[in-house]
Amino acid sequence: MTENTTTEIVPTVSVTIDGVALQVPKGTLAIRAAEMIGVEIPRFCDHPLLEPVAACRACLIEVEGMPKPQPACAQVVGEGMTIRTQQSSEVAKDAQEGVMEFLLINHPLDCPVCDKGGECPLQNQAMSAGRGESRFEGEKRTFDKPINVSAQILLDRERCVSCARCTRFADQIAGDPMIELLERGAQQQVGTASDEPFDSYFSGNTVQICPVGALTSAAYRFRSRPFDLVSVPTTCEHCASGCSLRTDYRRGVVTRRLAWDSPEVNEEWNCDKGRFAFAYLAEGRITTPLVREDGELRPASWPEAIDVAARGLAAAGSRTGVLTGGRLTQEDAYGYAKFARAVLGTDSIDFRARATSPEETQFLRAAVAGAPIGVTYTALEQAPFVLLVGFEPEDESPIVFLRLRKARTRVVSVGAVATRGLDKMGGELLAALPGQEAAALRDLPADIRAALEQPGAVILAGERIAASAGAPSAVSTLAASTGAALAWVPRRAGERGALDAGALAGLLPGGRPLIDAQARAQVAAIWGIDTAALPGLPGLSGDDLLTSASRVGLSALLVAGVDPVDLPDPALALRAVDTAAFVVALDHHHSAVTERADVVLPVALVTEKSGTFLDWEGRPRPFGQVFKDALTMSDATVLGMIASAIGTSAGAWDVNGIRRELTALGPWQGARAVVPGVQPQAAAGAGFRLASWRELLDAGVLQEGEPFLAATARPSAAIVSAAAAARLGSPATVTVTGPAGSVTLPLEVGAVLDDVVFVPMHSSECSIYRDLGARIGTAVDVTAGGAA
Amino acid sequence: MTISDQTLERMRELASRYPQPRSALLPMLHLVQSVDGEVTTDGINACAEVLGISPAEVTGVSTFYTMYKRKPVGEHHIGVCVNTLCGLLGGDAVYDALSERLGVGHNEPTADGKFSLERIECQAACTHAPVMTVDWEFIDDVTPAAAVDVVDRLERGEQVLSTRGPAIRTFQATEHTLAFPDDGLAGEGTSVDDKMLAGLRYAKEHNMSAPAHGQEA
Ligand code: SF4
Ligand code: SF4
Ligand code: FES
Ligand code: FES
Repeated sequence: MTENTTTEIVPTVSVTIDGVALQVPKGTLAIRAAEMIGVEIPRFCDHPLLEPVAACRACLIEVEGMPKPQPACAQVVGEGMTIRTQQSSEVAKDAQEGVMEFLLINHPLDCPVCDKGGECPLQNQAMSAGRGESRFEGEKRTFDKPINVSAQILLDRERCVSCARCTRFADQIAGDPMIELLERGAQQQVGTASDEPFDSYFSGNTVQICPVGALTSAAYRFRSRPFDLVSVPTTCEHCASGCSLRTDYRRGVVTRRLAWDSPEVNEEWNCDKGRFAFAYLAEGRITTPLVREDGELRPASWPEAIDVAARGLAAAGSRTGVLTGGRLTQEDAYGYAKFARAVLGTDSIDFRARATSPEETQFLRAAVAGAPIGVTYTALEQAPFVLLVGFEPEDESPIVFLRLRKARTRVVSVGAVATRGLDKMGGELLAALPGQEAAALRDLPADIRAALEQPGAVILAGERIAASAGAPSAVSTLAASTGAALAWVPRRAGERGALDAGALAGLLPGGRPLIDAQARAQVAAIWGIDTAALPGLPGLSGDDLLTSASRVGLSALLVAGVDPVDLPDPALALRAVDTAAFVVALDHHHSAVTERADVVLPVALVTEKSGTFLDWEGRPRPFGQVFKDALTMSDATVLGMIASAIGTSAGAWDVNGIRRELTALGPWQGARAVVPGVQPQAAAGAGFRLASWRELLDAGVLQEGEPFLAATARPSAAIVSAAAAARLGSPATVTVTGPAGSVTLPLEVGAVLDDVVFVPMHSSECSIYRDLGARIGTAVDVTAGGAA
Repeated sequence: MTISDQTLERMRELASRYPQPRSALLPMLHLVQSVDGEVTTDGINACAEVLGISPAEVTGVSTFYTMYKRKPVGEHHIGVCVNTLCGLLGGDAVYDALSERLGVGHNEPTADGKFSLERIECQAACTHAPVMTVDWEFIDDVTPAAAVDVVDRLERGEQVLSTRGPAIRTFQATEHTLAFPDDGLAGEGTSVDDKMLAGLRYAKEHNMSAPAHGQEA
């Protein structure tokens, strides 16, 4: 989408603040107008992204013609208004000091043991806008402390100033009004309903915006003082929403992560996974290279391990398969893309550690790889209509969810479950059996087609279109025939970057087709190799790659951070690793792959390197190195060492050099692959169809070591329609049986199509690929009660 | 206690009376008290369900207003006004006498569940101070002895009439009328008597009026 270039004329009003005359856009709040001339009015409840509420009264100002001081955070500036703040008005100053004194009456002033101490708006503003001494001699209000509003979020009620920031955030932004101001008067306090904790995916934001130390997280409470921390701006590695974060560390250990300001992307919010799931960084690292000897992995020196890896990979050469997983930075993915083609001469490479299809591969080559930024968050906000296909934003890209909610865009989701998330976006469901989305798109109701024809309409396709035959083709056709913009929203943070870096068979960096002579020449020139040295034909990808490896079709595997349990056929993946004559694994943590590898090379975590994630928009989200003195090396650096041991250099392997190469190459301007034309397929088999996706909080390896976060995950359940539950006799638990096994889960009734059962894809209770041997859309048996 | 289908139906009826269904929350909470004797968690969840709001939001409302009880109250709920006028004219003594007679304090039910006691705020009935309420019906110009007598008679199962007419029923029965003020019972008894109008009459006779806006009294 092109930026809106017509300049809108915003009407302005004239106002005088502390004797300074200025023009501000109509509708500006006095507190914002004062900021424009550098006057900071004290505030607690005011937050630029929340509706004004004027709850705390800290911001009182004098407005000429008004009988009493007015709250600046709720006072809209009117034409000709004369405003005096604490800078020029004794009345305002006195009112502010009075409110501050009231606020402090019941405040414990336990700053020395409060987590907010040192970064506390109350502490700061009590100094700047309060009196030094308290005149209060009575007894302060006390409460039992703290209470759990959720497993993760704790509340020390006596510190609360009743600003309602947390409750407004929960209601207005997240759509999860599970916290409220309860009681009245001096007893007023934040709380939950007695049987419903604040299990919101976005709960951590309330800790960050609480202007006092009333809300803390179990993960960070009492861990450190803010002035002992070093803060580094970073990018979240957990999903393709692309949040800017601030990582705080002390003595080499990350202590917390906060949402950082990025108006075009995550605004000032993030999700709890990005905020709290970082314990994995500090636990269970692979510390030295390992080499297999007499069947056992043993520690080895770097030179030895590199040497063994180089010899094994060189011997396999073009008969090597490369699996990079979806979590690498774009620079590291580029390292694998280059290493495969220029050093090994193989094009069998895939970044997708999830369900894939050849149709999806072609879709990505044709419609996504190397494409310039098209649909943006802002475009979503302005879109008159958004169609979701194979995509559950709240679980699979939380900031997309927040943006669609904020915009109150009309949203229709093509799927089998009308989720609470969809409800919170005010969305509607267009029924499609899991795996049958293509048929629904082919037979789209006329009003939805018309909605897509409106200028600015968007189709958002999630990673699960790969698990739905004909869906990648159908979204492409639909976008072309309606003129709607199409964006692909992968789940993992590294997928879009890896695609654009060329970590997919048939694709060179920048979306260049491997088989295009000009594309090959451009890439070969940058890599300093002979065009003929590049593989001539597209290699294997997806299931084909694993199947081939499992049948000795490929003799070596180079694997980066892939967990077989994420793949739709975990047994096939393990067989492939077992069968391959030679396996090199680059990872920071052990997995089923590293256990079976011949050489294991430890690599840097996101905190130990710089790099770039491309978010779903295709927007680069670069980040710097948190731990500058880390001795670990990035994947690309290690690959460069293997490359030189093999005797091919092929250009740069360091992050800056790679960025230069990527810039020099730029996106592909030539002809692209054509979009696939796969027809919808009728469902096979009878019984319940399995609907499933990865919930935001689940058994993912990067969430390990954070029990408080895990305790706020959605409880695993098999969800069916009310009618289906009645047919089953409304038992408390059901057993879901797939081709490979069964799981017994609590039964929940939800807005699910009849004959569909939703089971979380990979929760702590069940993993559909591993436990059921079922994929999305597979017919499964659902029976009442536990397994027979 | 779980909320019956019949109660849910009545909640929906209340919700349908307002352009914004949410406005029905206050009568709905009275309805919950009429069936459960207090605002139970089930009642909160039922209100939330019917109105499409969160249980936390319902909890916020039900804890803000003191007429909603989150703890069991007695079959008869007794209030004694202890605000300035009533307090000075004997309300405090009435409260103390009742507290001693019942053996309970503020917002506590008796062990047999028959009564509960509450210090209440001004009921806008200062003309007849001190006042006491039984199941929100007025006992005007009450004395400690009269108050204890009311309790004694209720305990013996005798019928007690409010000074203003209506028969005292039970807390839950009154709560039902509060939920459905159109049940024909709400208007029972006198709401205005000669004593209440004495001040107004005097003001009229002496041509007294309130100062205009912005003018010192
Ligand atoms: S807990 Fe914090 S954010 Fe919430 S109302 Fe209290 S002071 Fe405000
Ligand atoms: S929304 Fe995605 S990118 Fe943002 S914090 Fe959460 S996991 Fe990280
Ligand atoms: S900041 Fe204005 S009232 Fe709170
Ligand atoms: S003070 Fe008791 S009714 Fe007014």
